[in-house]
Amino acid sequence: MQGPVTRDEGRGARNLRMVVGWVLFIVTGSVTVADSEPSGSFDNSTCISCHEKQDNELVKAWRASVHGKNKPLADCIACHGNSHNGAAIKARQDETCTGCHGGRDEPTVHSYASSKHGLILKLEKKEWDWTQPLTQANYRTPGCAYCHMHAGEHNVSAAVRDPDLLREDTGEVKSVQDATRRVCQDCHAPRYLTHLFENGEKMLAIARMKVREAKNLLLHAREEYNAEELDAAENQYQKMQLHLKNVYLGIAHQSPDYQWWYGQPALDGDLLRIKGAISELMRIESANGKQKACTPAGVDGKAKPE
Amino acid sequence: MGWCIPVSAAGFYSLVEGARMKEKKVRYVWIPVIIALIAVPAGFYYVNWSKSGAGAGLYSRDWLPEAVFAYWNPDDFYESVQTMTGVFKGEECVACHEAVTPGIVNDWRKSRHSQAQETVYCTACHGNDHQKLHLPTPEICGSCHTTQHADFNDEKRYGFPSHALAMERALDAKHFVDKPKAEVTACLQCHSIATKCDSCHTRHRFNAAEARRPEACITCHSGPPHPDDETYFASAHGQIYLAEGDDWDWSKPLRKGNYKAPTCAYCHIDRGKHQVADKSIWKFGIKQVNPLTSGNQVKRDKWVKLCSDCHESDWARQKLSEMDAERKRAWKKLYAAEKILKDLRDKKQLHPMAKQRPPYPGDSDDTFLKMERIGFFEGQASAFYNVSPIERDYFEMWYFDNLGAYKGAAHGDPAFVHRGHAAMDAALENIRRNANALRTLNEAEKAAGIKPEAEAFWKQGEYTDYNREHN
Repeated sequence: MQGPVTRDEGRGARNLRMVVGWVLFIVTGSVTVADSEPSGSFDNSTCISCHEKQDNELVKAWRASVHGKNKPLADCIACHGNSHNGAAIKARQDETCTGCHGGRDEPTVHSYASSKHGLILKLEKKEWDWTQPLTQANYRTPGCAYCHMHAGEHNVSAAVRDPDLLREDTGEVKSVQDATRRVCQDCHAPRYLTHLFENGEKMLAIARMKVREAKNLLLHAREEYNAEELDAAENQYQKMQLHLKNVYLGIAHQSPDYQWWYGQPALDGDLLRIKGAISELMRIESANGKQKACTPAGVDGKAKPE
Repeated sequence: MGWCIPVSAAGFYSLVEGARMKEKKVRYVWIPVIIALIAVPAGFYYVNWSKSGAGAGLYSRDWLPEAVFAYWNPDDFYESVQTMTGVFKGEECVACHEAVTPGIVNDWRKSRHSQAQETVYCTACHGNDHQKLHLPTPEICGSCHTTQHADFNDEKRYGFPSHALAMERALDAKHFVDKPKAEVTACLQCHSIATKCDSCHTRHRFNAAEARRPEACITCHSGPPHPDDETYFASAHGQIYLAEGDDWDWSKPLRKGNYKAPTCAYCHIDRGKHQVADKSIWKFGIKQVNPLTSGNQVKRDKWVKLCSDCHESDWARQKLSEMDAERKRAWKKLYAAEKILKDLRDKKQLHPMAKQRPPYPGDSDDTFLKMERIGFFEGQASAFYNVSPIERDYFEMWYFDNLGAYKGAAHGDPAFVHRGHAAMDAALENIRRNANALRTLNEAEKAAGIKPEAEAFWKQGEYTDYNREHN
């Protein structure tokens, strides 16, 4: 209820109010200045030179990550924008990631978006408090950053497998599982996670078997037939790489559709079509009399056509 | 009188004979009665025996479950953790789990369970002894939510596809039984709709409003055989939902006047009745049905009544008969493909043939009379692997293109119907071409005097071997 200063008020009172006002202004102003981050627009090197002093570990983690190593860099301003205004909130939201990691139909995004986690996030994200750090189940379901940058971890690859999914590395499996567990345990029971991880590992191993079975067949076929003849089989083998990745994404992002329809039965189809393509070549050759009989190109490499 | 004697004698004779016959007939009646008395209990015993294995379902003796199955089929497989001892009160669970798994406690706090006059604590659903915990099955939820549970169970009478029978049918599918269990884990995640309520009302919030939105359904109702998400979102209904849905009041029940456009649940769980199969006329498009049976007329009337919440009933009837026509066109194409395949089968021109490849799921190497399974009624739904490429072509035409077209028609996405039918046309053409190639090759082999043998790799290889030994 402060009205304008009236003539009825004494001069002293007016002065006192002015002094108090100034003091308050100076105190609060200086506090604000001391606490506020520099405003304005930055480039990446400015961010790094300052944040290296504040939290060198964070900058080091980013440098070690694919975001910091691979060109083009996914640098500070790519995710946080070029000012401090809402920088953390921006980087926590999925749209920041999906700008580079493909649209809805890109399997990496779609496998997550169609999972229970993704769908709940879509429905409820407007109600959530995005100023909260990415930890302690501050969000009802995880978005991209909650898992891949959990508690502000800037090495986004901590819970991600080597892109060569045929490579089997038990050390990597353990480190990825440990990193994943740190995230999932905010909501899920430890035994559930153990069982999920074991099952996922087996599911991926089965998908790998299908790819290797085809690879082995192609290795033998390449000795007998030229590239043009093997065109159909080789194309199908390329699809297998995608379907293997789908199985992996289905496990990692908890999408039954990617584990199954875009994954395992798709691999089954690829495998039998590769067999079909090679078998057709062999039958044509043998019917044309170039070969005595339909001798199978042995999968073990022993029985090769003469 | 003279002629009376023979007549009456004949009459007497026929009477006696009739009585004898009757006696004989009565005697014969005992035969089926005795057979039935033996066979029916034996049948029950056999089914019970076959269901009592380490797995679950009709073939439970043929496989061992993965540990993770416990979370999707708790009735059959869940056993409590043993790492903690003690009997706890609800408040104590919350106090401890707030630190252990804060996410679920946050969820519960926001749920009606925690805000009800009489708080529904963890113990109400999980039990209070930490060594005898259980996961809430529909029975447990149904002990309070009786109407929903009764409706849900009652759905079984409509057969499959339905939510209530989803788990049973997954476990009894031949390919589920045959494949390594870690591979078919994916199946149970969606088919657990029958065994737990949190498929739609996600834990631990269990929000009715969430289940009213289409997003609640599409983790499972998506992908090539049931692109419900794509077809719905592309439809006029879905477009309205996408544009405005965030602003609607989702706390309202699924009734006339409450929503501007229908969602999955508005039509399929209409008026909140927990049944999706009660109006299922075309059965997912998976097999040909007569849409005009009296039973299906009842279902059709239900649809007309539902659509009449917004549309004129004549318009609704028209749309439904358009679907009849679409299905008729689709099945014409599918049967054309089936005919080609069955012809190849009869002439032994499929390569490899059934006996030259791993047996049909569930059969063994020494199964008598091996046959390639072509079409729904022969069980082709389980024959998408270890088959010849042309059979797989048909599987994809039937399971992906056809079902996609059906979903497009059902959800009002004409572009998807068009795409599905174009894909079916292309698939049919491709099957014709491949069949010709198989015939030509087969005839050339005959001319060259080559005995058609399948290559060894059809029966062996890393995965093929593993699958034979692990299920």
